[in-house]
Amino acid sequence: MDSSIDPAEILAVRGLSAGYAGRAVVSGIDLSLDRGDILGLLGANGSGKSTLLRAMTGQIRPLGGTVAIDGADLVRAPERAKSGFGLAVDPFDLPAALSGRQYLQLVASIRGCAEDDWPGGDVIERLGLKRWIERPIAEYSLGTRAKIAIAAALLGAPPLLILDESLNGLDPLAAFEVKRIILALASNGRHAVIISTHVVEAVPGLCNRAILLADGRMARAWHARQLAEAGKMPGVFEAEVMQALAVQAADG
Amino acid sequence: MRHDRLVLTLIWRELSAGLRSMRRRDLVWIVAGGGALLAYAIADIVVALHAVSATLRQAQALWAVGLPGVLLCLGGFAGSAIARLCLSRAFAPFLKALPLSLMERRRMAAVAACALGVPLAFIAAAAVGLGCFVIAKPLAPAWGLGAVMLFGAGFGAAAVLRLRSARDLVLSDSADPVSDPGGRKPWLGAFDRSTPAWLSSWAWGLPAGRVRLSWRLAGAAILFGLAAIVAGSISLARHDAVPAAMAGLTGGLLVFMLSARFHPLGSPVLRTAPLGFVRAWLRLARLPLQLSLAFFLLPAGAALAAEPSAWAMPLASGFWLLALNGAYAVFAAYFMTAPFVAALSFLSAIAYASYETLEYGRTVLIGFAALVLFLWHQAQRRYRHG
Repeated sequence: MDSSIDPAEILAVRGLSAGYAGRAVVSGIDLSLDRGDILGLLGANGSGKSTLLRAMTGQIRPLGGTVAIDGADLVRAPERAKSGFGLAVDPFDLPAALSGRQYLQLVASIRGCAEDDWPGGDVIERLGLKRWIERPIAEYSLGTRAKIAIAAALLGAPPLLILDESLNGLDPLAAFEVKRIILALASNGRHAVIISTHVVEAVPGLCNRAILLADGRMARAWHARQLAEAGKMPGVFEAEVMQALAVQAADG
Repeated sequence: MRHDRLVLTLIWRELSAGLRSMRRRDLVWIVAGGGALLAYAIADIVVALHAVSATLRQAQALWAVGLPGVLLCLGGFAGSAIARLCLSRAFAPFLKALPLSLMERRRMAAVAACALGVPLAFIAAAAVGLGCFVIAKPLAPAWGLGAVMLFGAGFGAAAVLRLRSARDLVLSDSADPVSDPGGRKPWLGAFDRSTPAWLSSWAWGLPAGRVRLSWRLAGAAILFGLAAIVAGSISLARHDAVPAAMAGLTGGLLVFMLSARFHPLGSPVLRTAPLGFVRAWLRLARLPLQLSLAFFLLPAGAALAAEPSAWAMPLASGFWLLALNGAYAVFAAYFMTAPFVAALSFLSAIAYASYETLEYGRTVLIGFAALVLFLWHQAQRRYRHG
C-alpha cells in the first residue's frame, strides 16, 4: 500500500470517466470517502448514478481516471480493491437457481469469511429473511431479493458498503433495520457507506454527505454541516436538490 | 458451499431448477418420447450401417480423413460452445463485483468445461466404437479410443482458445467479457432482430407499422424479383412448368419465413386485449402471406404460360405453399421470440419427414401434422394462460 495514502480514506476517485461503447456517461468525477462517512448519491434517472457505481466497483472499464478502494487501485489490483467493498447487486442479477442460503455461502466462500460473519448480529433474522432463506431466489419478491442482496453485501463486514437503490423496495421494518446497520457501521469509524437513492427526504437523516449527479457530472455536494442544517426543517433539503437540478437544466 | 466448482454448480442448479419447473406429465412425455425417438434413430442408423457395411469398411478416405476430420470439428464446436457457456457463468452479473481474479474465473470455467466435456467424449467414443462393431470393422475399441482422442483434441483446443479470450472486466472495453472481440453480436441473435420493426406492427394499423422504404428492403425486393424473373424465363424458354413452379413454392415459403414475426403473441398488451389467439395469429400472418403470394404469382403465371397443359402443377404448388406457410406460422407462433430457432426446427422437421416418407410413404405426413397441431395447442395455451 502507498505510504502517502490517508489511512482514513476508504475511497479515492480521481477524474473518473466511464460509459459504454466508448461514449462517456459520467465524466470528471472526483470523490473521496473517509471511514465514518455515509454518502447519499442523488440524481435523476439517467444521470449516471449506476454507471458511476459500476465503474467504481470494477463492473465496467473506466474511460479515464483512477479508483482506489482502501488503498488498492481498481485496475492494477482488482481483487484486492474488490475485497474492500460489499455491493448489494441489482435484484434481477441475483442467481435465480440458487437458494438464498446457497448464495450467501457462495459469497462468503469468495470473500473468505464465515457465512454468518455479519456486523451487528444475524442479518437474516433482522431483515426477516428466515422463512425465505432455504427457497430458490427465483421465488423471491423484489423486496426479498433486495434484502438478500444487502445481506450478501454485508458479509465479512467490508470497509465500504455500496447500496445502489437497494433501500427502495424494502418493507418498513427491513428498511429500518438496514438504516440501523448503516448508522452502526459508520459510527464505529471503520466503515463507510454509499447509498444511491431517489428517496431525497431520507438523505439528511441518514447521510452525513451527499452529492447530486446531473448529466454525468457532479452538480452539487453537501457536507455534514450543510446536511444537518437542511435536515432541521422538513422539505428544505428537497427544495435545495430541486433548485440544483433546475439550475443544471437551465445551464443546459 | 465452496466456490471452487461454482460454474459447474450454477449450471447444474439451473438445469435442475428448469426440470423442477416443468410439470411431471410434460417431463414424462419428453423423456418417454425422446427416449423412443432416440431408440428408433439408433435402430435406423444400425440397420443403415449394416446395409452398407462392406462399402464402409473399404472406404479408406472415410477412415483416414473424413471421420477424424468430423470428430475434430465436432469436438471443436462442442468445446467452443461449452467454454462460452461456462465463461458466461464465471462472469455472471452477480459475480462481477466480487473479488475473483481472471485466472480464478477461467479456472472455474475450465473445470466445468472439462466436467461437461468428458461425457460428450465418451458418447463420441461409444458412437464410433458401436458403429465399427456394427459394420464389423477390425479393432473397434481402438477406433473408439481414437475417437476420444480426436474429439478431446478438438474440444480442448477450442475450449482453451475460448477461455483465453476472456478478459478482466476492468481491462476490457466490452461490458460482456465473454463476447467475441470487437464487440460483435452473436449472428444468430442478429438474424432474429434483423427484421424491419414495422413488420409486427403492420397487423394492428399502428403508425409504427407503416412500411418504410430502406436500402435493405429495396435490395431484398430486387433479389426476389430477379429470382422470380430468372425462374420464369427458364420455364418459358424450355416450355417446362417445373422450374418456375418450384421457384414459386420455395421462394414464396422463403419470403413468408423471412417476414413472419409472431413475438407480439407474447406481449401482455395483446394478451390482455379482447382478442382471441386465432384472430391475433391470423392478423400477424396476413402481411407475410400477402408478400408470399405476391412473389408466387409471377413464377406461377410463367409456369402456366410455359406449359398450359400442366396447369395442375402451379395449382399444386400454390396449395403446398399455403399448407407450408400455415405450418411455419404455427412453428413461428410457438417459438415466437426466436424466429431462427423456428425456421431451423421447421426445416429440420420437413427434412426428416421427407426422409422418412421415402421409406414409409406419405403416412409420415400424419406425424408432421400431429406435431403442428401439438405446437398450435401449446402456443394457444401459452397465449391464454401465460
